[in-house]
Amino acid sequence: MTVISRRTAGDSLVFRSAEGVRPVARRHPWWWIGGAVLVLLIASFIHLLVTNENMRWSVVASYLFDTEILSGLLTTIELTVLAMVIGLVLGVVIAIMRLSANPLFRTVSWLWLWFFRGVPPLVQLVFWFNLATLIPVLSIGIPFGPTFASWDTNTVITSFSAAILGLALTESAYAAEMIRAGIQAVSKGQTEAGLVVGMSQSQVLRRIVLPQALRIVIPPIGNDLISMLKFTSLVSVLATPDLLYSAQMIYSRNYQTIPLLLVATIWYLVLCTLLTLGQQQLERRLKAKRTTGTAVPTTKRLRFVPMGRA
Amino acid sequence: MTQPHRQATETPVMPLLRVDKVNKHFGHNHVLRDVSLDVYCGQVQCVIGPSGSGKSTLLRCINWLEVPDGGYVYLDGQPVGYRWKGDALHEMKPAQLAVQRRRMGMVFQGFHLFPHKQVIENVTEGPIVVNGTDRDQAREEAMALLAKVGLAEKAEAYPEQLSGGQQQRVAIARSLAMKPDLMLFDEPTSALDPELVGDVLDVMRDLATDGMTMVVVTHEMAFAREVADQVVFMDEGCCVESGTPEELFGSPAEQRTRSFLARVQ
Ligand SMILES: Nc1ncnc2c1ncn2[C@@H]1O[C@H](COP(=O)(O)OP(=O)(O)OP(=O)(O)O)[C@@H](O)[C@H]1O
Ligand SMILES: [Mg+2]
Repeated sequence: MTVISRRTAGDSLVFRSAEGVRPVARRHPWWWIGGAVLVLLIASFIHLLVTNENMRWSVVASYLFDTEILSGLLTTIELTVLAMVIGLVLGVVIAIMRLSANPLFRTVSWLWLWFFRGVPPLVQLVFWFNLATLIPVLSIGIPFGPTFASWDTNTVITSFSAAILGLALTESAYAAEMIRAGIQAVSKGQTEAGLVVGMSQSQVLRRIVLPQALRIVIPPIGNDLISMLKFTSLVSVLATPDLLYSAQMIYSRNYQTIPLLLVATIWYLVLCTLLTLGQQQLERRLKAKRTTGTAVPTTKRLRFVPMGRA
Repeated sequence: MTQPHRQATETPVMPLLRVDKVNKHFGHNHVLRDVSLDVYCGQVQCVIGPSGSGKSTLLRCINWLEVPDGGYVYLDGQPVGYRWKGDALHEMKPAQLAVQRRRMGMVFQGFHLFPHKQVIENVTEGPIVVNGTDRDQAREEAMALLAKVGLAEKAEAYPEQLSGGQQQRVAIARSLAMKPDLMLFDEPTSALDPELVGDVLDVMRDLATDGMTMVVVTHEMAFAREVADQVVFMDEGCCVESGTPEELFGSPAEQRTRSFLARVQ
């Protein structure tokens, strides 16, 4: 005989109603103990921050809005935005080349990724800065043919443009891989639906596939933007007066190393917080746009009703 | 050659669409074998057949989403995908192929609406981007089309807010917005819940009544029987038999047709 129930005759078979009896909530003693330990740790950390003489909060406060620091902050923002925009534009081009049917395009973009992901950005910065040693004159023209214009490399490659080049090229490689994944995540049916209304490949790409792909890659690109913000601090090796380098300049004069590093830290955190909030807002906006379609005010909707015009 | 019975035209008429001995391989899989088909202006052709018989591939070869590797497709007497230069036949540039595709609307089993665009933008996208139609005029025409498929009040919704049947009707409106000469339907109702099928079929029936030329791949035998001028039965890549609905459903000549019909009816 097989046992199909473990209930035996010995079990209490009396039905007892729970109606009207309020159940006692489960207690979570470990939540409280763990929480208390954490609070203690945090409190002692804050105590250390506030009372440690070496932090010199008064010095921090006096330099937080120093003009040199603020102009460094501006440079950091410029570097981040420029490198990111150039990196993304290049990234889209490289991603499209990666997916091209032309094997030459695929190979070139593969090599690009291999190189710019493989070489550390710091090495690139120094390399681009010293480009003049390798190529003294930059010129525009037909390869192996006539040149239309040329410049002395040293005037073109300043520490700022070398920084932009290094950061943007590295970013282009990472962005290209994300965008390629985004493009591939858009179904083939979307492309076909575009083609059958008579769009060209490039119209399908620009109007149908890329808008959807970019929406998919907004979260990782937001992440990249935040890392870019921090990577810009590398430019201090080229003596570009960004946020970190400005702080370094000041503490090399007055030896207040820790307070000035704190100033830089605070600003990096402020920028990072703003970017994070912006990213959240953007994601929420994109999501909202898709789900409020029916909740559009009637006045707006009436505009499109052809009968309304007559 | 069968005459279209809904249009009184002088003989001989040129078919709007001629599929002439089209072949297609996917690797070693011979998916279409010498498929031939004539569709006249205003005619509705239904294509039926078991799963995997090549019906979708046939439609996709007609508008060159797949390139046939043998035979030709003619639209209004001109080969699709090729151009005459004197006596030589040259492969078309993508832009010229796009011009031919504009004349053939296509409705997919999976709708494929543009999810990032509102319903009305889905419909106006083709006219605005491809034909360069003025935005206001495109919207006006789109609203008329949406009214025709019974979805005027959903103009500002996004596709994901619509039911499958509504999405498919938007997809039909999107195709019609390009004012095609021919509509290709690939099992437009087979991804839908049974209670939503009727609305889509009603729209297609109206289109047929308006005189639209249509090639419809379908599993809806009742629809084929009622609306088709000509029904084609495909099996294993071959066009086995074709005829009027009465002929094909009433007295099929081929054993394969009979056993297929016995299974689905
Ligand atoms: N892109 C492709 N690559 C390789 N094989 C394919 C491809 N598309 C279709 N096939 C094959 O071609 C054959 C015919 O497919 P097709 O989709 O045309 O059939 P169908 O008649 O539309 O079937 P269903 O009724 O299930 O939609 C199948 O064997 C399928 O596996
Ligand atoms: Mg199919």
